[in-house]
Amino acid sequence: MNSRDNRSGSPSDFGPEIDAALETMSPAVRAAAIRSMTTGRGAALRNAMSRRSILRGSAMAGLAVAGGSLLAACSDDDDKKDSADDGGSGGAGQVVFSNWPLYIDVAEDDENKHPTLDAFTKETGIKVKYTEDINDNNEFYAKIQPQLASGDDTKRDLIVLTDWMASRLVRLQYVQKMDPANVPNAVKNLDPRFKGNTWDAKREYAYPWTQLSTLIAYNSKATEGYAPESVDDLLTNPKLKGKVALLTEMRDTVGMVLLSMGKKTESFTDDDFNAALAKIQKAVDSKQIRRFTGNDYVQELASGDIAACLAWSGDLIQLQADNPEVQFVIPKHGYATGTDELLIPTKAANKANAEKLIDYYYRPEVAAQLTLSINYVSPVVGVQPELLRMDPAIASNQLVMPSPETAAKANTFRALSEAEETKYEEAFAKVIGV
Amino acid sequence: MTTPAKTSDAADAAEAAGPKHAGADGRPEPSGPARALRAITGELRRMPYLLLLPGIAWLIFFFLVPLYFQAKMSVSSGTLDKGFDLTWTWSTFSAAFEDYDEHFLRSLYYAGAATILCLVLAYPLAYTIAFRAGRWRSLLLVLVVAPFFTSFLVRTLAWKTILSDNGTVVGFLNTLHITDVTATLGLTEGDRVLATPLAVVTGLTYNFLPFMILPLYASLERIDPRLHEAARDLYASPASTFRRVTLPLSMPGVVAGTLLTFIPASGDYINAQLLGTTRETMIGNVIQSEYLRVRDYPTAAAMSFVLMAVILVIVTVYIRRAGTEDLV
Amino acid sequence: MSKQGRDAGRVELTGLSKRFGGFTAVRPTDLTIPEGSFFALLGASGCGKTTTLRMIAGLEAPSTGRVLIGGQDVTGLPPHKRPVNTVFQSYALFPHLSVADNVAFGLRRKGRKDVAQPVKEMLELVELGHLGGRKPAQLSGGQQQRVAVARALINHPQVLLLDEPLGALDLKLRRQMQLELKRIQTEVGITFVHVTHDQEEAMTMADTIAVMNGGVIEQLGSPTELYESPKTAFVANFLGQSNMLPAAVLGRQGDDLALDVHGVRMTLPASRAVPGSSGSSRIVMGIRPEKITLGKAEPDDAHRNMLRGIVSEASFIGVSTEYRVRIAEGSELVVFSQNRDDERPRVGDEVVLHWNPRHGFGLDAGQDLDAGTGEDAL
Ligand SMILES: Nc1ncnc2c1ncn2[C@@H]1O[C@H](COP(=O)(O)OP(=O)(O)OP(=O)(O)O)[C@@H](O)[C@H]1O
Ligand SMILES: [Mg+2]
Repeated sequence: MNSRDNRSGSPSDFGPEIDAALETMSPAVRAAAIRSMTTGRGAALRNAMSRRSILRGSAMAGLAVAGGSLLAACSDDDDKKDSADDGGSGGAGQVVFSNWPLYIDVAEDDENKHPTLDAFTKETGIKVKYTEDINDNNEFYAKIQPQLASGDDTKRDLIVLTDWMASRLVRLQYVQKMDPANVPNAVKNLDPRFKGNTWDAKREYAYPWTQLSTLIAYNSKATEGYAPESVDDLLTNPKLKGKVALLTEMRDTVGMVLLSMGKKTESFTDDDFNAALAKIQKAVDSKQIRRFTGNDYVQELASGDIAACLAWSGDLIQLQADNPEVQFVIPKHGYATGTDELLIPTKAANKANAEKLIDYYYRPEVAAQLTLSINYVSPVVGVQPELLRMDPAIASNQLVMPSPETAAKANTFRALSEAEETKYEEAFAKVIGV
Repeated sequence: MTTPAKTSDAADAAEAAGPKHAGADGRPEPSGPARALRAITGELRRMPYLLLLPGIAWLIFFFLVPLYFQAKMSVSSGTLDKGFDLTWTWSTFSAAFEDYDEHFLRSLYYAGAATILCLVLAYPLAYTIAFRAGRWRSLLLVLVVAPFFTSFLVRTLAWKTILSDNGTVVGFLNTLHITDVTATLGLTEGDRVLATPLAVVTGLTYNFLPFMILPLYASLERIDPRLHEAARDLYASPASTFRRVTLPLSMPGVVAGTLLTFIPASGDYINAQLLGTTRETMIGNVIQSEYLRVRDYPTAAAMSFVLMAVILVIVTVYIRRAGTEDLV
Repeated sequence: MSKQGRDAGRVELTGLSKRFGGFTAVRPTDLTIPEGSFFALLGASGCGKTTTLRMIAGLEAPSTGRVLIGGQDVTGLPPHKRPVNTVFQSYALFPHLSVADNVAFGLRRKGRKDVAQPVKEMLELVELGHLGGRKPAQLSGGQQQRVAVARALINHPQVLLLDEPLGALDLKLRRQMQLELKRIQTEVGITFVHVTHDQEEAMTMADTIAVMNGGVIEQLGSPTELYESPKTAFVANFLGQSNMLPAAVLGRQGDDLALDVHGVRMTLPASRAVPGSSGSSRIVMGIRPEKITLGKAEPDDAHRNMLRGIVSEASFIGVSTEYRVRIAEGSELVVFSQNRDDERPRVGDEVVLHWNPRHGFGLDAGQDLDAGTGEDAL
């Protein structure tokens, strides 16, 4: 595998050390890989669709609704699992935590055990009711919106939603303001690049759980050594004709195209958006684009049916571990990124406990433990030294610990008004054929 | 309010296939002098209705109530944040037809093709299991339903591997130049099968095959093998025996199987999503997108209704035809 | 109804047998059924009647032997190419077809287009002319039965096979159908092979009866022949009732055998004993219950065989009375006596039993004397 040669001339910031890091699987990845091979059929899926991004695309979330047993296949009986059953000393109350599937650390020997949560319970006496019942932002929003709108308790103290949905909840005042005094670690350790935020300028309502990035990935075997450098290459290079996939997630696909056009995702106009869509449409019409995918691109990228595509960083570590010919590229125009945010709904019964839990996850050693397990970028300062100690390979992986230069290329999608959102999603839906 | 298209389709199917056998009670009025006896027989007379209660309750809560909300939603307007108000806006319906007629037609076309393929594949299989399998019968039946033990999604994803561009299946089809033929027919593109109409129809066929096999098997299995012998004895060749006796007697299974296949297949969106491209999206994908992506609930609801109505019409016509057709 | 040629309806079985795995359902059988006869295959349940019939129809492949119909070897022919039709034990009417279409089925398969007229005629023959439009499920058992017959007969097969066609009917309907079948057979003149386990049915309808037992045809003959001169205990018991008296052969007296039955001397014409049995020292003498005269005094004719006994049971049947008479320790005879006399013997009365020696029949001693009597003979 001469991946370095493939990438020669590419604008990638990644040095040879990354290749080395990927060559030698981290223990965590190895553990995941081993787990995927030993837990039966469902594991094949876990392998291909590991991590929470499995259900990230809204299309995929719909699939999860219909093929409900996917959740069973992925998360077994994690649902309704009370992680604190065994460690609790009564009196300190509880906290009800709703999260996406496969988005938290699990014990090596028992997938239903979450060591960080258990440690939290042990330390504080607060029982955590951990439920993996969020599969899609819109769907989950539709589920809790009636309670929020009528000022009722959603029966959840802590939820995780993607930034654009989080911004809506903040705007509609469906979430509670946190007391900085209760989350000192979060205040102190939040990575500065997440601080200036258009919808929560002072970080009063939400703290990131992880950062998610959209990159370009390709299968060097399928491209016969050719390395696409930019989104333009995906959209127009005849070498990739019919073997390119884009994401069904509007913000990620359009965001990447906007960036490739030299526009900013933080501030773009309707015209910019339409121009980007037209560009995508052209690629669709010329049959350059094979499909729009949720994270089911993983399978086809591995097999080479998709030669190059937009991919989520969270999938790539596992994917590369299994398929050395899969490479990724950070386009020089930058990449789209977003965060999943921790929110406390209004009327949450255990706000103080929820704040305690947020603060707990902002301790570098806890954050590092989480990162090591789920391989998503942590928003917590001080994770790197911890990670270096625990697993140097992961600590130097750009996908998990981006260098400052890499981080600087990240672009977030600006918050959309509801009207804009509907308009854009509708237009994008037309492009992807629905 | 969430009334995903899927639910209404299923309920629709249930209704289409369901209430025919609501039993009529033909018991005569009890005439015995003993009041106790009369009370008991009265109880017995009411039994059938009591037994229907759970079914009726189910129908009300999981079909009629959602249907009502869906109907209301389809003529409402508003947004998810501000809420939807009943405004009797009917334009959602015309929009559903005008903007997505292509998707409707495509859905019916794919579902129809998958149904026919299912029938062609399932019939010999069901026939073999019913008449030829002997002691392997139970095993074969288990194998037929075995795919149900994995999720729909996983089963569909498996086809990505099976139909992979570089896989043996497609390689084999290429060698035999079958892909050239299918490409000419517009079913595949170039040398690939994945991400083409053929892949979607294949996925649908595979996923709904058990729904065809089981009713076919049930109706074939009920045929008295002595009827075959009687036909053979009356100068019918094996082919003619099949055409004149087996096939007509298995028609209930054929009708049930095609309905159980066609109805969910025409509302399906997973196969198109995973195995198709933007050019193969079905109406289910549109409805799903309207609900979860655009969050235009009224349009989504209206489209679900149109889909339901279209299917209902097709099914009614079909049952009429299949039911009254002179089968000899 | 004319036939293609003489003997077109003759059925010949040569060495025909059938094994199911290790179980032999039909032992190698040779049989000739003459053209135009009403032939009954009689036997207890499970003796291989249906299997034999199915081999003739071609629905079962024989393990050995050949089937010839009208002189033509049809052993290898599939059922639809054989000139036979079957009326199935269960009728096997096509439930999805109307009565008329059921009847027309065979003609249509043979390519006949103008079936309306023959169907009408055939339905009239079985007196169902008005029910042609109904489905089989809307008919009574007897009507279904007649449809099954009509459906087979309309094809003018050289041989019509009937597998217990009347088994499901009540007694009255059965009688009626028996007469009807007999009438039809006489009318159309084709060979009928009628399988039944009802000996009365076989006797009233058939010209020739073959009695099957355990996969073998034990005896073949006209009803009277079988009844008057059974050759085995099974036939004797299965067709009507018989008293079996084990006897020692004392010697020969001209054409008669001299026997010792319970210490009483009796005679039996040697011609009425099965060949072979007369030579041995032991024999079984059979006598039908109705042939025995039951009286108080000894008969005038000294040639009659005679026994003394005590009435142990008397059941009044109507036209006759059935007596059980103990003639020795553990040995009883059954006697049917017409209720002609005013004074009938009672239980406990001492009586004299006597019969004409020519009414007796001699069987091999070495067989189960209860064969064909018990519960196995339905
Ligand atoms: N397909 C078969 N496989 C195995 N054994 C069979 C099969 N068909 C028949 N037999 C056996 O062969 C024997 C003869 O069966 P057959 O059906 O010929 O009896 P039958 O004389 O017609 O009896 P019945 O009067 O009850 O109809 C029976 O013991 C039966 O169990
Ligand atoms: Mg039988």
